[in-house]
Amino acid sequence: MNLLFYDTYTIFWREIKRYKKSRSGVLIRLIQPAIWIVVIGNTFAGTQPLIESVGFDGEYIEFMAPGVIILTAIFTSIFGGVNTLWDRRYGFMNKALTSPISRSSLALGKMLAISLIAALQASLILGIALAIGVTFPNPIMIAPIMAIVILFSLGFSGISVIVAATAKSQETFWGVINFLGMPLFMLSPALFPLELLPDWLASIAKLNPVTYTVLLVREMMTGVSEGGIPALLSIGIILAFVLVMVAIASYVFTREVNKPF
Amino acid sequence: MYSIETRSLTKFFGNVKAVDDISFKVNDGEIFGFLGPNGAGKSTTMMILTTLLKPTSGQALISGFDVSSHAKQVRQKIGFVQQETTVDEYLTGRENLLLQARLNHIPKDLIRQRIDDVLELIELSDKQNEPVVTYSGGMRKRLDIAGGLLHRPKVLFLDEPTVGLDIQTRRKIWEYIKKIHLEFEMTIFLSTHYMEEADKLCDRIGIIDEGKIQVIDSPEKLKNAMGNEVISLEIEKDEQERLFLSKLHKIEQITKINEDQNKITIFASRGTEVIPKIFQISSELKIKINSISLTQPTLDDVFISYTGHDIKSDGVAFNRKREHAKMKRLRA
Repeated sequence: MNLLFYDTYTIFWREIKRYKKSRSGVLIRLIQPAIWIVVIGNTFAGTQPLIESVGFDGEYIEFMAPGVIILTAIFTSIFGGVNTLWDRRYGFMNKALTSPISRSSLALGKMLAISLIAALQASLILGIALAIGVTFPNPIMIAPIMAIVILFSLGFSGISVIVAATAKSQETFWGVINFLGMPLFMLSPALFPLELLPDWLASIAKLNPVTYTVLLVREMMTGVSEGGIPALLSIGIILAFVLVMVAIASYVFTREVNKPF
Repeated sequence: MYSIETRSLTKFFGNVKAVDDISFKVNDGEIFGFLGPNGAGKSTTMMILTTLLKPTSGQALISGFDVSSHAKQVRQKIGFVQQETTVDEYLTGRENLLLQARLNHIPKDLIRQRIDDVLELIELSDKQNEPVVTYSGGMRKRLDIAGGLLHRPKVLFLDEPTVGLDIQTRRKIWEYIKKIHLEFEMTIFLSTHYMEEADKLCDRIGIIDEGKIQVIDSPEKLKNAMGNEVISLEIEKDEQERLFLSKLHKIEQITKINEDQNKITIFASRGTEVIPKIFQISSELKIKINSISLTQPTLDDVFISYTGHDIKSDGVAFNRKREHAKMKRLRA
């Protein structure tokens, strides 16, 4: 057990080191969510009556800022596993597999690193949101918000790692990831209240873990609770999602990377 | 107990037999070389020995531990330096070694000293804090080899350690390998398709072709068994060629004859006496000799004599492509 922690930390350490050395990547990954928050945030400002109808009395940009934070977390973490393909192609995976480290640490270390990186990127977006005038009634909430973002990203990094371990090529990886990422984001209350969705779409959205994360983070940021879903239920659903993803991901990853690439 | 022992090791990829009933033993502290063309089965064998692939049948033991049933123990005994350089470009040399040390569970209080030691051994101490992106190909390879040494493995696997490096760098890497072997006295198993490399480094060589081991011996013995001299002939195509060859076989100093189209390679004990006889036979049969030369046997000649083809011949390259395509299909 001790060794599993040590090995997981080893892999985590490598991923974080690599992230830190790619400074340009950090900025590039911020551009897209920054565009979302500035362009959509201002364009949709006229939809205020709609969000007011669900009991939200602030600016639209305050409504969607938590959504964009989650957007950043989704895409940073779901893209994060792609270096698995490089690791397999350029021998790092074989190097790790011929060393005595525990097999599941490979997936776990990667996922932990991805979720931390996703949270870092999300916190930068939070900074941008504050800079363009989003107010934050209770600054102490920032710590639990980040905890939720890390947890949520851990689940999404699981998806990424599963796809990366099963895909044989970059093309497959990006195809599958784009197929998954956008619908998961759009079928959530990130940009508009759930109440505005037709019933059948709303019921699909209620199966989506992103929905609960957005509702929870928005409640923590603005203090407004929507849709009648208690915070504790959301936390429970996020926890369950993360546990399931971590379990599946470490199983699938360990099984797949042992096959010749 | 042997450092490495295989018993009828066989590996199929679908219908392709990549490793065909291989049995050999490597002694403790020996440098053993696998010599063969691309696609001969060297890498597959090495992947089985390093626990990356499971054999279809047969057995492989590292220090007495079976690679299939005791992979964990095997991984603690081995170091594996792959053909491609696998160091992380964005990390510094030292960070790469730190990663490698942690992967191999080197006790915390030993890590710093071990890294300092290998850095000195491979002469990279002064560049250790620079990112690997700034390293030359040879320096990266040295760093990779150093990574494989940190945990003092009992058996070090080097897969084509100098492929893609220029000749000066290659010689340098050979020096390092010798130095490492002297210092740590570990067993080294290396694969190569460079004759010179096998000749310079290895105590014993196994020649492998099409998944089979053709012969195993020391480079000297392999060369001596060829006879003392090699005569290479080029003749013009002729109907009498068969007769010419059979007459040559009757010359008693000749130990072996290989023919590859119009090129004939003759292994003989006293070449200077054989050449006049060759001319005599050829003038009797009116066969035109375009060129003739007399040389000392090299491992190239040994290789040709056991496999019937040159290590770089086209036939093999074609085979490799075909096998590659097959492997790809299997994995898709």
